[in-house]
Amino acid sequence: MAEVKKNEEPRIGVFVCHCGTNIAGSIDVAAVKDYAKTLPNVAIADDYQYMCSTPGQNKIAEAIAEHNLTGVVVAACSPRLHEPTFRNATKAGGLNPFRFEMANIREQNSWVHMHQPEEATAKAKDAVRIAVAKASLLEDLIPKSVPVEKAAMVVGGGVGGMQAALDLASAGIKTYLVEKNPTIGGRMSQLDKTFPTLDCSQCILTPKMVDVYRHEGIELLTYTEVEAVEGYIGNFDVTLRKKARGVITPAEAEARGIVGGGCTGCGDCVDVCPVIKPNPFELGMAPRKAIYIYHPQVSPLIYTVDFDACVKCGLCVEACGDKKAIDLDMEDEFMTVKVGTAIIATGYDIFPIEKKFEWGYKNYDNVITSLEFERLICASGPTGGHLVRPSDGETPKKVAFVLCAGSRDNTGVGKPYCSRFCCMYSLKHAHQIIEKIPGAVPYIFYMDIRSFGKMYEEFYYRIQNEGAKFIRGRVANILEDPVTKNLHVNAEDTLLGRPLDIEVDMVVLAAAVEPSAETEKTRRLFGVSCSQDGWLLEAHPKLNPCGTTTAGVYLAGVCQGPKDIPDTVAQAEGAASAASIPIHRGEVELEPYFAQCIEEKCAGCGLCVNLCPYGALALVEKDGRTVMQVTEAKCKGCGTCGGFCPGGAIWMQHFATPQIVAQIDAFLLGGEQ
Amino acid sequence: MSGNKRQYAFFLGCIAPNRYPGIEASAIKTSEKVGIELLPLKGASCCPAPGAFGAIDLNIWYAMAARNIVLAEQMGMDITLICNGCYKSIYEVNEKLKHNDDLRDGANEVLAEIDMEFKGTIDVWHLAELYYDPKIVGVDKIAESVTRPLTGAKIAVHYGCHLMKPRKERHFGDTENPMWIEELVAALGAEPVQYRNKMLCCGAGGGVRGYDLTHAIDITNEKMINLQEAGADALTEVCPFCQLQYDRGQVEIKEKFGIEWGLPVLHYNELLGLAQGMSPDELALDLHAIDVEPFLKKIL
Repeated sequence: MAEVKKNEEPRIGVFVCHCGTNIAGSIDVAAVKDYAKTLPNVAIADDYQYMCSTPGQNKIAEAIAEHNLTGVVVAACSPRLHEPTFRNATKAGGLNPFRFEMANIREQNSWVHMHQPEEATAKAKDAVRIAVAKASLLEDLIPKSVPVEKAAMVVGGGVGGMQAALDLASAGIKTYLVEKNPTIGGRMSQLDKTFPTLDCSQCILTPKMVDVYRHEGIELLTYTEVEAVEGYIGNFDVTLRKKARGVITPAEAEARGIVGGGCTGCGDCVDVCPVIKPNPFELGMAPRKAIYIYHPQVSPLIYTVDFDACVKCGLCVEACGDKKAIDLDMEDEFMTVKVGTAIIATGYDIFPIEKKFEWGYKNYDNVITSLEFERLICASGPTGGHLVRPSDGETPKKVAFVLCAGSRDNTGVGKPYCSRFCCMYSLKHAHQIIEKIPGAVPYIFYMDIRSFGKMYEEFYYRIQNEGAKFIRGRVANILEDPVTKNLHVNAEDTLLGRPLDIEVDMVVLAAAVEPSAETEKTRRLFGVSCSQDGWLLEAHPKLNPCGTTTAGVYLAGVCQGPKDIPDTVAQAEGAASAASIPIHRGEVELEPYFAQCIEEKCAGCGLCVNLCPYGALALVEKDGRTVMQVTEAKCKGCGTCGGFCPGGAIWMQHFATPQIVAQIDAFLLGGEQ
Repeated sequence: MSGNKRQYAFFLGCIAPNRYPGIEASAIKTSEKVGIELLPLKGASCCPAPGAFGAIDLNIWYAMAARNIVLAEQMGMDITLICNGCYKSIYEVNEKLKHNDDLRDGANEVLAEIDMEFKGTIDVWHLAELYYDPKIVGVDKIAESVTRPLTGAKIAVHYGCHLMKPRKERHFGDTENPMWIEELVAALGAEPVQYRNKMLCCGAGGGVRGYDLTHAIDITNEKMINLQEAGADALTEVCPFCQLQYDRGQVEIKEKFGIEWGLPVLHYNELLGLAQGMSPDELALDLHAIDVEPFLKKIL
């Protein structure tokens, strides 16, 4: 790497990209290039069709050698797209890659000013002038390498989290699987059958749950929540809260010196417990005791005490006897684990569809959600798989399914996005009532049927042929007959162009999904962004769908956006693969954008130490003075300290004050007159 | 402001002054008692009716509504009004022209012929929303103004389509089950009652009444079924056009379907007038098609 000395005369090369017509269609590229030649410190200016192509990159390397450049500016697309490309080209030419500066004249210019060529060209000139000003002051920076802890964490024990944990652990990485509920399995455990194959959801899930439980490489932490996250890729310190479960495992019993003790899942405690509560796993449609398991296939098979409901009568302790598995004085415990990478798989909740008042959910007895339908049609559900009307226990014959219930809703009440799996499970529901209830007629009110996956369209045809009625039109409102509790579904058949009033026995709302309640908290702890509607933001929607903008943190499943089981599992495997790469490499390179203390200017006031959101700064004694010191691996280069320091003693590498001032000066003072 | 009263340019509309003068009288008199002074918007025309005019030429609808708005701009006052149809025209056109330069230019081109220009300097309010807004009047102040509470009366509320929808062009929040007019009714000492399909149209709007009377009163009849089911003593609304449909419509229902409902229909301002002690004569309640007497007996 060529050493470039400070205070040397800057010699900048400027390269303006046409990007086909993406840029050249509205910006006069030749004019921008000619303008660049007139700017101070510019040694050469050139333009090219596609700067990111190999010939384009070669232009940069050749110009560095030919003109002895000290810095490179490319005016092209967003640095998020091609900054790494051009840094490599800069490096190939023999310059330190951080001598490169990018001017975005596509996303922030030509694309938005498509019909204003003159203004767009002027703006591109401004952008180039600003970039040249910064490039003239850039320094050599050396990235830092840090070792990576050979362990990973998966937050969320649904099918996505389970798959990610299995893959990581099977690749030889110690994996902590953290689940807030007493069992793994997630939403998939609540489903009856899965489309389009109609295999039983719990039947295909249970083997995976057992695999997770038995896997040597997985430390399964159920009834546990993430409390705090510190550190950075390679070295996350995650504090976990193990919620008081009131019941100990055989292993924990052994540690307490209770021979042959601990919970065996026998259930003797349940029989004697006097407290009855609605079971949230059954969406409140069945009772449970204050000591409970969700369902027979839970993993781990350990009972849990609901301390909000428990009256501490002690009958369960008595019933448990010598196993001494129940400890009603148990308190939350905290533990900290170190992991190199983490995967978030926190899943989804059902949108509170009662907000769509016109459909009467929670107001009319026989309007239910599709998740409630799943439990009612499921053999292990509260009715043993007999679909009944909540109002009178009768079997419904005419059932309306309202699709896009709260999805694709631009009224401001529901969600603007497509929840993606509702069409398919509603087709499955229609099939199930035709199959189970003789003479049953499903009415499917839809906007569009989105049967996008493998064998999905075929499934749609199958349900059509089975006799389901499809009505293309949104349901305007639902009214209950106060006597029969039947429901009048008012909609417009938009294919026939006529209003409809269909009387049915039951309405199933295919309610929209939204990020689970824990998603917001979890994403804040891990420093992951989210989109406007709360779904976690992937690093790139197409080319990096599992990564996030926080290095070392990855996404799996619905927390990133609505998706069905196959897509969730696929993304989980992708996330596991991505999360294993830094661990297997053993070290990661950090971008050298950290703060540096200019010790001769530092007064040791310590104001910056408290401001730092990442705990990267500390005061130390040095040569008899108190000065600030940066832990470079922790610093994210946010600039909070640098902007605040009253003495100007903090140098933000690559975003230093003189560099930024030069950019502002170039913008305000340097324009064409 | 004169004294401590807020002044508004009062846009009367057509139906209230022509068919139900009690609404006009009560709007002016009841507002005075809660700190609002209504000044006549001199030279005002029809709003113009959104269905009739808008369906034929939108720009003429904009321009005619804008002319009424400009009259208030010249007074330097916000407009308030008492009819949902007027609200749709005047409020919606005001918002549209304020935020869309193309529409504004189109309307101003027409207005230029009479030396007028829409400037977008005022706001438009339904009088009922001023009553509900705690920064202007508020439910408490309405309740304080009551001297003859309507105790024992069960009153159902019809909001009206043009007041509440389209949701995106309004600011009332929940448009599927709003409850704010019920709060205003409760402030009079009456008991607001809920009924099936509250947000269904009165039957008149959208030109339905003019196009197909039978269909229109069929919708009204369905409302009547639901209102009777809920045990309402009276129906209140904030729109003379809805009032016309419910009041005269019951006569038409009797003629065409042979069903007699006899449900008194009163504009909220008429109810407020009664609660503030105005006499039935002052409110011209004898001009209602459906006899209000049984309701009055219940409350007076």
